[in-house]
Amino acid sequence: MIISSLAFYLFSFITIFSAVMVISARNPVHSVLFLILAFFNSAGLFVLLGAEFLAMILVVVYVGAVAVLFLFVVMMLDINFVELREGFLQYLPIGALVGIILMAELVLIFGSWVINPSSESIVTTSIVYNSDTTNTHALGQLIYTHYIYLFQAAGLLLLVAMIGAIVLTVRKRPTVKRQNISEQVAVRVDDVIEVKDVTSGSGI
Amino acid sequence: MNILTEINLIWPELCIALSAMCLLMIGAFRGDSSNKTITWVSICVMGVACLLVLLGPNNPSSAFNNLFIVDQFSNYSKILILMGAILTLILALPYNLREGIHQFEFPILLLFSVLGMMMMVSANDLIALYLGIELQSLSLYVLAAIRRDSIKSAEAGLKYFVLGALSSGILLYGMTMVYGFTGATGFNELELAFSNGVAKNQFIGVTVGLVFILCALAFKVSAVPFHMWTPDVYEGAPTPITAFFSIAPKIAAMILLSRVLLEPFGGLFIQWQQVICFISIASMAFGAFAAINQTNIKRLMAYSSIGHMGFVLVGLASGSIAGLQAVLLYLTVYLFMNVGTFACILAMKRDDRMVEEINQLAGLSRTNPKMTIALTVFMFSMAGIPPLAGFFGKYFVFKAAIDAELYTLTVIGLLASVVSAFYYLRIVKLMYFDEAVDKFDRSIGKEISFITIGMSFVTTLFIIILWPVLDFAAIAASSIFL
Amino acid sequence: MLTATIFLPLLGAIIAGLFGNRLGSRVSQLVTVIPLLVSAILSCFLLYHFGWTGETQTVNLFTWINVESLEISWVIYFDTLTAVMVFVVTLVSGMVHVYSIGYMSKDPHIPRFMSYLSLFTFFMLMLVTSNNLLQMFFGWEGVGLCSYLLIGFWFKKNSANAAAIKAFIVNRIGDFGFILGILAVFYFFETLQFAEIFKIAPDIAGKTFLFLGMEVDILTTICLLLFVGAMGKSAQIGLHTWLPDAMEGPTPVSALIHAATMVTAGVFMVVRLSPMFEYAPFALTIITIIGASTAFFAATIGLTQWDIKRVIAYSTCSQLGYMFFAVGVGAYPAAIFHLMTHAFFKALLFLGSGSVIHGMHDEQDMRKMGGLFSKMKITGSLMWIGSLALAGVPLFSGYYSKDIILESAFASHTGAGLLAYWAGIMAAFMTAFYSWRLLFLTFHGSSRVEENVLDKVHESPPIMLIPLLVLGLGAVLSGWFAVDYFVGDKMDQFWGSSILMLDDIIEKAHHIPGWAILLPTVVGVIGIISAWVLYIKSPSIIPRITAMTGPVYKFIYNKWYFDELYELLFVRPCFYLGRGFWRSGDVYVIDTVGPNGIAESVLNLAKRAGKVQSGYLYHYAFAMMIGVLILITWFLFGFFQ
Repeated sequence: MIISSLAFYLFSFITIFSAVMVISARNPVHSVLFLILAFFNSAGLFVLLGAEFLAMILVVVYVGAVAVLFLFVVMMLDINFVELREGFLQYLPIGALVGIILMAELVLIFGSWVINPSSESIVTTSIVYNSDTTNTHALGQLIYTHYIYLFQAAGLLLLVAMIGAIVLTVRKRPTVKRQNISEQVAVRVDDVIEVKDVTSGSGI
Repeated sequence: MNILTEINLIWPELCIALSAMCLLMIGAFRGDSSNKTITWVSICVMGVACLLVLLGPNNPSSAFNNLFIVDQFSNYSKILILMGAILTLILALPYNLREGIHQFEFPILLLFSVLGMMMMVSANDLIALYLGIELQSLSLYVLAAIRRDSIKSAEAGLKYFVLGALSSGILLYGMTMVYGFTGATGFNELELAFSNGVAKNQFIGVTVGLVFILCALAFKVSAVPFHMWTPDVYEGAPTPITAFFSIAPKIAAMILLSRVLLEPFGGLFIQWQQVICFISIASMAFGAFAAINQTNIKRLMAYSSIGHMGFVLVGLASGSIAGLQAVLLYLTVYLFMNVGTFACILAMKRDDRMVEEINQLAGLSRTNPKMTIALTVFMFSMAGIPPLAGFFGKYFVFKAAIDAELYTLTVIGLLASVVSAFYYLRIVKLMYFDEAVDKFDRSIGKEISFITIGMSFVTTLFIIILWPVLDFAAIAASSIFL
Repeated sequence: MLTATIFLPLLGAIIAGLFGNRLGSRVSQLVTVIPLLVSAILSCFLLYHFGWTGETQTVNLFTWINVESLEISWVIYFDTLTAVMVFVVTLVSGMVHVYSIGYMSKDPHIPRFMSYLSLFTFFMLMLVTSNNLLQMFFGWEGVGLCSYLLIGFWFKKNSANAAAIKAFIVNRIGDFGFILGILAVFYFFETLQFAEIFKIAPDIAGKTFLFLGMEVDILTTICLLLFVGAMGKSAQIGLHTWLPDAMEGPTPVSALIHAATMVTAGVFMVVRLSPMFEYAPFALTIITIIGASTAFFAATIGLTQWDIKRVIAYSTCSQLGYMFFAVGVGAYPAAIFHLMTHAFFKALLFLGSGSVIHGMHDEQDMRKMGGLFSKMKITGSLMWIGSLALAGVPLFSGYYSKDIILESAFASHTGAGLLAYWAGIMAAFMTAFYSWRLLFLTFHGSSRVEENVLDKVHESPPIMLIPLLVLGLGAVLSGWFAVDYFVGDKMDQFWGSSILMLDDIIEKAHHIPGWAILLPTVVGVIGIISAWVLYIKSPSIIPRITAMTGPVYKFIYNKWYFDELYELLFVRPCFYLGRGFWRSGDVYVIDTVGPNGIAESVLNLAKRAGKVQSGYLYHYAFAMMIGVLILITWFLFGFFQ
């Protein structure tokens, strides 16, 4: 037990620390790297909770894809972050004030948190869960049956995101020559080659 | 429950989703030249969906483990949303043709956003609600920015996206709080939890969670102080999209807000009533005052819609069947007025370029008397002058508020209504009494003139269909209070 | 027939008023004159019918107001009193209409004029045919309005506008009393129907109510309030100032409204309410005193004026005074009798003077006239007849009516009555004097007409003379023809139930000492003779008399300084007050705080609200967070309190 709580505090501390560093690091590349660190630690927290599947997904998707993509973007775009931060200090006091008040209030609220004894009876979701079933198995059972509606909706959401990305970025450039295989295959000798008799001493 | 009976409930949504995907394939293979066909097919699809909604079950029934609910309330709103979408899509046809928006994705994204809205009004669970909202918002972000060559359009899309993401964050945060304190996300379970009485330490957490959710939804209906995106996005987005923004998403979000507040959180009525009153007063006042100095008619319409949402919230604040009925009636009236006004705005075209300055309307009564009459009708209606449609909307909303003894709210609402009459009437004055500027183009497209005429008739003669509409609204409203 | 009599003038007024410009002047004249003449002829039959039978008749048109105990209908109510008034009004009005065709022939706004005249007639008829106070008030205000419109008919003349406004405002003062009276009647009687009021009046007589800690007699209060209304309309002393100024209007208007009909409405009202006034003796005493002093005071002014129309105007004022003190001593039939004869001869005098003015090309100053008799013989003779009637020379109509009034006053044997008698005698003398002063200055003696005008002086056209002749006939004959019915043997049968007299004063008036009967005639003759002496025989005496009586003459010439007094007491303070309120109250307080202030602060707010929209994304996001924060803080505070 002590080890797991020690691990919990370690992971949590590093998560929070790296989250702070994400927004305070001067170098954007460092920020992204701290973000990756935060993801890793969060994955660790998931593992502690027994949610291996989520932990894996977090690492694979967020670290492996999103964060690395982000890293590329940050490196390739020439953004002057120092310039962006100008005026940051100007709003810092009032921003900090708002943040602190909000924080204090939320602490106040969560300080009074208890699990409602009746809430377990409210939750009607029947999760088939025993030590034999893996995380993945349990999730699959729920997503494809109980939550099929949400799953499909989320699928549509992703589809829309994809369409949006394409609509906003793909530009057709008529000047750029592209390879058209079917056209290439369909080309006949007669169309492209013309045999000319050339009499010597004169040009074509 | 049998899967077939469940599918029976979602025929309209299914129809739109499947058609959207088919149209996407067609578009992808046929290219942008199929834009016009796809647009008309989309309009037809929404018409069919409308029919399917009408043919759907009348008594409240839910599907997919209570994630999805169909009742009179959702049906009424779905029809409103579909009508709004159909009308704006028709309006968009000539505009897109002229302004060179050839992307075939335009109608498809619109279909997806409509699908999102229908999911919103049928949501019976916080997660379903969130997915619905995201589906419609994501489509709308893209639509706002669809004119890639226009900086303003891109700016509008980006602003909308960032602020929308923020509001989504707030929404999710609120939802986690509610889940954390009650252990449930389903509306039925939440209702049950509150009907059993809430422990004190649990109560405050839930309330604050609710406030977060409320704030996020207030962003969607662009109520003050979460309205900031509205004027910029309205101005930057292509005009038909602005028209769409001001109608369908507003209706969907307002309906969703009503359902969330009255169904799962009905037990916290005393708490949320204060918030709604505050937001409502702020919206009415801000909508009235900020619009006065506007010179761009699309910006003006943004403030106008903020004000209108304030009036609708008055009905919601009364928390009664009559109040909800008034909300539905107001939204119906608002749909007609706004479509009509935007049809007029789309007709503001000179030398093949759109003009958006209010001053350009000066002396319109001499150069284009028919359009002037139509626009006058819409402006009078928005100002709430009897016997036009807008008057009935305001009348029933305030009546409900008075019955609920919200006198301060009513008085402030009436005052705001007086102030807002100023800028509506200023447009009328401009058109009739000011020196005429150059004529607008004559060829505005028969779709636009058709819709203008139709909407002005509906707005003028609304009193004829007032009682049937009220009856439907009453049935729809009472289905929430079962 | 009743309805036709009343509504024909309205019909004419509407046609001429709304379509006059399209129809042209000739048609407008026809569409107003013909209905009125028809109406006048009908009224003769009506007078004959109601006078003979003494019965009453009510035609209900439709309900006007029906709120709890207040139930008012539009009606046409006829009894002898009404019939007499309708007869007088329509006849004189008809004559004036005809006369106007000639008199106004060169005016560019004939349809408007004719329409106003007919409209006035209609309102006057509504007034006299009412059976309740409210309809009477409707007519009362209607005639006031028409009077205003007609006095200011020549609206390009500043003096005419001023006179119109003056007439309106002074009348409003009287009307305020009238309104208070009506309210008081409704408060105490809970009805406005004459019949019911009269039924209750004897019971209420003598009862009092508390006002500012004083016990006040109910009926006296009501009657005095109503009388204030009558004073305004009938130009009694104090509220008379508008009448002379009203002569700025066209002369036919003066004849119709400011001599024959509207100004007698006050008298009519009191007579109509005689069953109520009879139970308020104190109010009657006041009426007597006011009437007597008006008769005397207006006559003195009449002695000194130079404007031909003003002389007649003051004469009207004075004669109205006679009618009021007749009412005051209870001789209602005598008042109405005089009202009728006066209507004829005063309209005659006015129209005659109008004819002179017309002939003299709009010259009204008698100092620039003289010796006109040879130029306009018919007008001159008719003016003589009118003056004879006015002065009360035997056999002319004024003789009968004025004598019975003075006799009644004498017979009443009250202090006020005797005062009225002697004031009346003195006024009679002065009346005769100024009438002949007018005649001599205008028609006789040496000509003072300016050379260039003299040649153009001409007799008026027949269209103007015929009405004069008709009225002259009335002025001569109406007296002896009607005396038996109005105040003689057949009186009771004639009036029927329309007038109530508790004390049969008329009967008593026939039995007073001979000298008292003769005296009015004698002083009249003396007045005529002295006028002849002063203005024909030896005009040189006049300046001496003027010089001798210097201050008194000046006092009288300046109309007892009433206008100046009012100017000082009311008009100027009102202007100061008004201007003060306008500057400090309206401009500074109401405008800056009210419309302008609100508009400005709205614009300010709008500007600020616009500025909030900075366009910066992080401002927007920040605003949202602050919104969330405010709402949550609000809840937490609410929760922990």
